[in-house]
Amino acid sequence: MDRILEIIGELRKAGREEFRVTTPVPQPYGAVDPEHLRVELAAGAAAHLVVLHTKAATSSLDVELAEGAQFELTELFLGETFCTTNVRQGARSRCRMTTVLLAGANVGCTVDLTGADAENSLGGTFLVGGREHAVVKLRTNHRVADCRSDSTFKGVAGGEAVGEFSGLVYVAQDAQRTDAQQQSRNVLLSDTARITTMPQLEIYADDVKCSHGATVGQMDADAILYMRQRGLSEAQARRLQIEGFVGDIVRRCGVEPLGEAVLELAAEKLEKL
Amino acid sequence: MAENEKEILENLGEREYKYGFTSAIETETIGKGLSEEVVRLISEKKGEPEWMTERRVAAYRHWLTLEPPTWAHLTIPEIDFQDIIYYAAPKARKRLGSMDEVDPELKRTFDKLGIPLEEQMALAGVAVDAVMDSVSVKTTFKETLAEKGIIFCSISEALRDHPELVKKYLGSVVPYTDNFYAALNAAVFSDGSFCYIPRGVRCPMELSTYFRINAAGTGQFERTLIVADEGAYVSYLEGCTAPQRDENQLHAAVVEIVVERDAEVKYSTVQNWYPGDREGRGGIYNFVTKRGLCRENARLSWTQVETGSAITWKYPSCILAGDNAVGEFYSVAMTNNFQQADTGTKMIHIGRNTRSRIVSKGISAGRSENSYRGLVRVAKGAENARNYSQCDSLLIGDRCGAHTFPVIDCRNRTAVLEHEATTSKISDDQLFYCNQRGLSTEDAVGLIVNGYAREVLSKLPMEFAVEAQKLLALQLEGTVG
Amino acid sequence: MENNMLSVKNLHATVEGKEILRGINLEVKAGEVHAIMGPNGSGKSTLASVLAGNEKFTVTEGSVEFLGQDLLAMPIEDRARLGLFLGFQYPVEIPGVTMANFMKLAVNEQRRYRGEEPLTAAEFLRLMKEKSAVVELSSKLTSRAVNEGFSGGEKKKNEIFQMAMLDPKLAILDETDSGLDIDALRIVATGVTKLHTPQNATVVITHYQRLLDYIVPDVVHVLYKGRIIHTGDKTLALKLEKEGYDWLINEYDK
Repeated sequence: MDRILEIIGELRKAGREEFRVTTPVPQPYGAVDPEHLRVELAAGAAAHLVVLHTKAATSSLDVELAEGAQFELTELFLGETFCTTNVRQGARSRCRMTTVLLAGANVGCTVDLTGADAENSLGGTFLVGGREHAVVKLRTNHRVADCRSDSTFKGVAGGEAVGEFSGLVYVAQDAQRTDAQQQSRNVLLSDTARITTMPQLEIYADDVKCSHGATVGQMDADAILYMRQRGLSEAQARRLQIEGFVGDIVRRCGVEPLGEAVLELAAEKLEKL
Repeated sequence: MAENEKEILENLGEREYKYGFTSAIETETIGKGLSEEVVRLISEKKGEPEWMTERRVAAYRHWLTLEPPTWAHLTIPEIDFQDIIYYAAPKARKRLGSMDEVDPELKRTFDKLGIPLEEQMALAGVAVDAVMDSVSVKTTFKETLAEKGIIFCSISEALRDHPELVKKYLGSVVPYTDNFYAALNAAVFSDGSFCYIPRGVRCPMELSTYFRINAAGTGQFERTLIVADEGAYVSYLEGCTAPQRDENQLHAAVVEIVVERDAEVKYSTVQNWYPGDREGRGGIYNFVTKRGLCRENARLSWTQVETGSAITWKYPSCILAGDNAVGEFYSVAMTNNFQQADTGTKMIHIGRNTRSRIVSKGISAGRSENSYRGLVRVAKGAENARNYSQCDSLLIGDRCGAHTFPVIDCRNRTAVLEHEATTSKISDDQLFYCNQRGLSTEDAVGLIVNGYAREVLSKLPMEFAVEAQKLLALQLEGTVG
Repeated sequence: MENNMLSVKNLHATVEGKEILRGINLEVKAGEVHAIMGPNGSGKSTLASVLAGNEKFTVTEGSVEFLGQDLLAMPIEDRARLGLFLGFQYPVEIPGVTMANFMKLAVNEQRRYRGEEPLTAAEFLRLMKEKSAVVELSSKLTSRAVNEGFSGGEKKKNEIFQMAMLDPKLAILDETDSGLDIDALRIVATGVTKLHTPQNATVVITHYQRLLDYIVPDVVHVLYKGRIIHTGDKTLALKLEKEGYDWLINEYDK
């Protein structure tokens, strides 16, 4: 965690309450345990923001992307934070979000696509063990035609932990040519852990490409056997497998050294699961 | 900590409530409204044993504490439960002299569905015995069934002739505490069917044709109880592809199925109650609780083709209590005009190596709302549970809604659960292609929809699969172009 | 016998209570190539799995000595580290785990087992590059996840590539030729031949003579109903190709 704090410390500090970005060249911003943060990107502006949550506190983040704005948002949860994130996207805006829960946080995220050709991509994961309880509620609203959204959330629960995911894709009437995909992939590591997943579609337009999928499963025993035949220990094989499972999400963490630092932290956490 | 079956059964229900509606039915025997007195009176009029009366009363008392569920994706007008007649002696239908007197519109529909003439007469209320000896048909069935020890009769008869079986099984899968409508049904159910297949017996016929001719007019609070004893097998068909008209707006049926060790039950439904007119006036509210309990190695397969009713609220479910039990749910739900459907299933995995499969095909047209709602739950001890769910939606037109609300709840790490859902429409390219090959747009739509629903239709008994296909095409008339 | 590498004596094994191996005897010396042939369901793959240590199977009788050690007493990964390689008939896909990452762990685990220093990143990359040439495996594949999205031929090539990386003492190749077109078969078989030295041994499990055109066996065994019912030289494979197994089976069943 120190390493992560250090990396974020080197970033430009996101304004205490509100800040507005107008530059088209993306700059990385960082914030630690903000109570409330409002981010506005002007038309054509670009920015990266990394938000780290370490405390059992409430937090809210509002993001407003004007036409053609490009935003990258990474949210890391290392504490039991109750967090609400609202993202409103104008026409042709792009938003790439990464949400990593390494603690029993409660995350509510709403994305509103309000201008044509807006695009949102979200990758998230929760890793919970012990008696942790992670909750992720995601809602993507396709309010107008010709927008795209894509989200993948991967959950791992061990110990006596509980992981809950619910994701709703809402497609308004006349939001034609919507392309919305959602995936919820989960692995249970113990018989005392519990995973609940609710991927949902609410669709009022007919010319759409919408799909969702959800799985709950276990580690692939054949893969473990295969790795052991090549000389890996069972523990190594298991860790490699889970890293392979969540690695692509964790590595998304935009700002360069951050991905590896988070993966390291995630790996430490996995050891304990 | 251990989740036992009972606890799960109880938790399956939900406790919420309010609302009502008015329907203009004239009273004949017992006046409008519901009270403990009315419940006792119903039981008395039916000559039921005292334990049954007490169960009804208990259900009624529990019902009073409940409110109608509001979680479904449905807009339900207020229902005035005091404005309903809960007991009416079955009205003698007006007998028609011949097929010529039947409403030509109804006859046209029958013909399109390809329903045999004898059945058409029975359904339309022509005095069948005048033209065909239906009694002898029935007798033949009865004899064959009786030889095997199969009991197939109305619930009222069963209460009289086999009280021990009814007492043992009624309410064992759907307790009156389950939900608002199940409690109401348990208090006031009019009649319904009882079916018992003894140990090791394979029911030699689909309990369908018999049922179709026989079970007309069982009323709005129907109760069905099917018990397949160890190693038994039965395929049961409820409903009928022919349009069914009923004066009663509210239907709150309960179907309970007990599938004992090594037994298998296939339950197929074709539901085509009056859906209301094109403007959304009238139509049946179909609020059904259907559930089966599977013991070790038992298998229960639900297949439903839902095209009727103004509002459908039903979730045929499987409690996979025994090891190696298998539950299946195959559904086609089609809504048009102003129809609303919120339907799906629950698969509750309790035993080890339990398997379930869900295939749901929703078709929405007009201004209708069509939702799939499902629950797959794996309890702690359900080692190696497997579920595969596929939920597809087809939208015809841009003023309808198609929704998918699955819940997966897993507490065992050896479980493997998969859910997939897609949404699509009939593409202009597909239509153009069919048109170019000489098909009318209507035929093309029918063809495409049947292809889309094929996986489910193929699970129906043969003759009904054919009828159901025609039914879908018929319901689609006028939806495109 | 100093150069005796593998010594299987009266090996019996069951799966879910069913006996599949019913008394296997097999001696493999360094420098040798053995082929195990036999009709479907005779126990060929089971033999490979049991030797590799797949816990699905239960050994009920017999002994296996590998490089002077009691093989059956070792867990699967130690057998691998000691130098036993199993080429899987159906190589497993491991989503998200890159080949490089996987192989690096495997190679270094083996080195650790032998008391050697782990390879540096540079050394490892050099090794990867060198060995991928053996089976003409494109470097694109080595940067992908293990077997994920590989074609059938690529998966088999990948098995031989891993064999090259791990440099086993004894390689058991389970139906490595199945599902390969003629070009892939040539590449895979040539790769195996290149890796063969007087210090190691190869056991090839196959259905078809065609693989043996490339990998010429010193000894050919016929496995049937969980026993080796006949052993010969390379001409036996040709005879089997022409005449099938019936003449052997009929004699045995009598």
